[in-house]
Amino acid sequence: MLTHIGIEPERLQFSWISSAESTKFIDVVTEVVEAVRKVGPNTRLVKNMVREP
Amino acid sequence: MRILQIDKKDWSAGLEKSRKDYTLIGPVKEGNNVSKFKELAAGEEPDFSITTTTMSPKSVVFPQSEVMFTFTTDSASADCNIMKVPEKSYSPRAVIGIRPFDAVAMKIVKMNFDTPDYQDPYWCDAYAACTFIGLAITDPEACDFSTSTGTGPFDTSGLDVLLVDAGDYYLAEVVTDKGDSWIQSASFDQEADAESVEILHSMRKEAKKKIESTVEFANIDKKETLDLYNEKYWDSISFPCLNCGTCTYVCPTCWCFDIQDEMAHKNGRRMKNWDSCMFPNFTIHTTGHNPRNTKLMRVRQRFMHKLKYHQSKYNMGIMCVGCGRCVTSCPVNIDIREVCKQMNS
Amino acid sequence: MHTYIDKIREIASRLLKEEAVEMVIGYQEGTLPMISPPMSVRSAEDVEKLTWSSHCCINLANYLTDIKGKVAVFAKGCDCRSIVNHIAEGKVKREDVVIIGVPCNGMMERRTISNIFGDEIEEVVEEADGTVIVRGKGREEKYQKSDLLRQCCRVCVHKNPVLYDELVADPVAIPEDIQRYKEVEKIEAREIDKRWKFFENLISTCIRCYACRDACPTCYCPTCFVDEAQPQWVGKGDDEPDVMTFHILRAFHTAGRCTDCGACVSACPMGINMRAFTKKLEKDCLDLWDWEAGLTSDMRPALETFTPSDPEDNFK
Ligand code: SF4
Ligand code: SF4
Ligand code: SF4
Ligand code: SF4
Repeated sequence: MLTHIGIEPERLQFSWISSAESTKFIDVVTEVVEAVRKVGPNTRLVKNMVREP
Repeated sequence: MRILQIDKKDWSAGLEKSRKDYTLIGPVKEGNNVSKFKELAAGEEPDFSITTTTMSPKSVVFPQSEVMFTFTTDSASADCNIMKVPEKSYSPRAVIGIRPFDAVAMKIVKMNFDTPDYQDPYWCDAYAACTFIGLAITDPEACDFSTSTGTGPFDTSGLDVLLVDAGDYYLAEVVTDKGDSWIQSASFDQEADAESVEILHSMRKEAKKKIESTVEFANIDKKETLDLYNEKYWDSISFPCLNCGTCTYVCPTCWCFDIQDEMAHKNGRRMKNWDSCMFPNFTIHTTGHNPRNTKLMRVRQRFMHKLKYHQSKYNMGIMCVGCGRCVTSCPVNIDIREVCKQMNS
Repeated sequence: MHTYIDKIREIASRLLKEEAVEMVIGYQEGTLPMISPPMSVRSAEDVEKLTWSSHCCINLANYLTDIKGKVAVFAKGCDCRSIVNHIAEGKVKREDVVIIGVPCNGMMERRTISNIFGDEIEEVVEEADGTVIVRGKGREEKYQKSDLLRQCCRVCVHKNPVLYDELVADPVAIPEDIQRYKEVEKIEAREIDKRWKFFENLISTCIRCYACRDACPTCYCPTCFVDEAQPQWVGKGDDEPDVMTFHILRAFHTAGRCTDCGACVSACPMGINMRAFTKKLEKDCLDLWDWEAGLTSDMRPALETFTPSDPEDNFK
């Protein structure tokens, strides 16, 4: 649903990784990081605390 | 004070002119379902076709969420633990098209925020900045029972200027000096002739007559508080209630708020947010005990506070101006007029 | 409509007289046109106050969660599924409720009719042939009921109660050509940024009164996450990210349990169609797990169960 409402799919990814699969873990994390870098800093659902009245 | 006549052709130009001295605020529609008071962008005009806005204009002085101050807990910062009020503008605001009952509601809310002992600076400064340019109600809505609550469609008591739509022109009854300043800023200067003044008076009578919804309060004042409190009807009145608080959020006289701190890393701010006696959270103690833990108690509290406690404790009248917003907005049609009828009987 | 009302009063009166139940939950006539608020009746003399109309938009299953003792409740198709859901989740015991099913021809919201008519409405009359006559000050218009129905009623395929002790009338026919997820598909077809804009815009007038949550039978948590102070899951102000978070999370919590009864939309004082969130989840539950809420009380809702055959297309 997050994708449905417009959160970029790159930001939420799922994977099954067993504790024995260290190389898979590294690959997946690298992929995720690259994917998120590509979409850039998140602007959605980010709160601006210094919002003036 | 004086009464002016403003040709509708000159209205927009006058409004624009007054922008040099005032921020303009007025009723606008947001989509099909909602109307509220908002700051009018350049060229935007207040929408006089709306009689009762969905949200009351109380937010003009009492926003739903307001930052009271910000702070940082970062010991490396020179401002560590120092509370800073954010820069706020209290330059003059003209609230154009506020309806008479809503302006009266402002005065009721004032009793809470501006007392001899304590003054809420945020509220008081915002209120002082406002000039209320009211618009008389010539075509009252069905749920408007403002004549019963001591105000009415042409009431000037909360206003600085009262505008009356008389067809091709507006009649402007200047009530206060503050109002006169706005009129001058807008360069409206044509005095109304005797005939127009006559028209204003007859329209005032007409409009009052058009309000069909009436409510009696007299007996509520006479009855014993505890008798009212223990009445059986609270059960049936409160049964459908969802405790959603809509009635209190749309009400121009409801003034309750909650204080919340929000932190992100080491930066924080303190917020003043609307709250509602209809929410279970409103009264819950830190121990977990909640003295008003049932919906019946909460519904009873709302009506007793508005219609009984305020009058019997402070002798300051009822806290309802009869705008009818809670009647039309309540998802389950809990109707204050019906409740009054039962309480008054 | 009149046969419905007569039957409703007859059943309520019988159940109360026989002392089969302590209380009957139904709808009463409102003080404004086009609204029928919920009410409870405890004695047979009061059954005359019960009514039925095409404006019974609030879901009565919502009133069952805190009630003690045996009660009877009038339930449309969707209300009935919400009751089934309550039973499945152990919130209500089957033996404690007498479900009087009301086959439903769809409900109309006051707001929709008012917006279409334009002026203030004094009276609305519904004819047996599906025409709705709306009267205002010196003006009268005729509409087709099908054009005034709530969105959720237009796409409803469970108009008839699924679980009941008694029925008020014969089941109604379900049209075959209903496109249940047209609204969702329309949103799905948009680009991602447009979707975000759409949802941003959708909630822009939200005042966080939580009427949507309070009207929803699935939202029965003793303390809702938005009301929690420690930890504070979400800010309490009117910042958009906080408002959006409330809507996203509330929708998630209803996943696989929402019956698309539309009570949330009907209750919203701002007329926000927050079904745009929940309908997507309903569609996903159907597509992914072949699950529809409230059809059986023998199974736990979709998000509460796991089978090895669950689809894993989202996993890398
Ligand atoms: S708006 Fe109606 S349902 Fe909501 S809290 Fe007020 S009285 Fe109750
Ligand atoms: S209690 Fe209702 S009618 Fe009275 S001022 Fe408030 S919203 Fe208006
Ligand atoms: S009912 Fe409407 S206004 Fe209230 S919280 Fe829900 S969406 Fe927002
Ligand atoms: S989310 Fe809305 S449509 Fe779904 S069950 Fe709750 S009230 Fe009904």
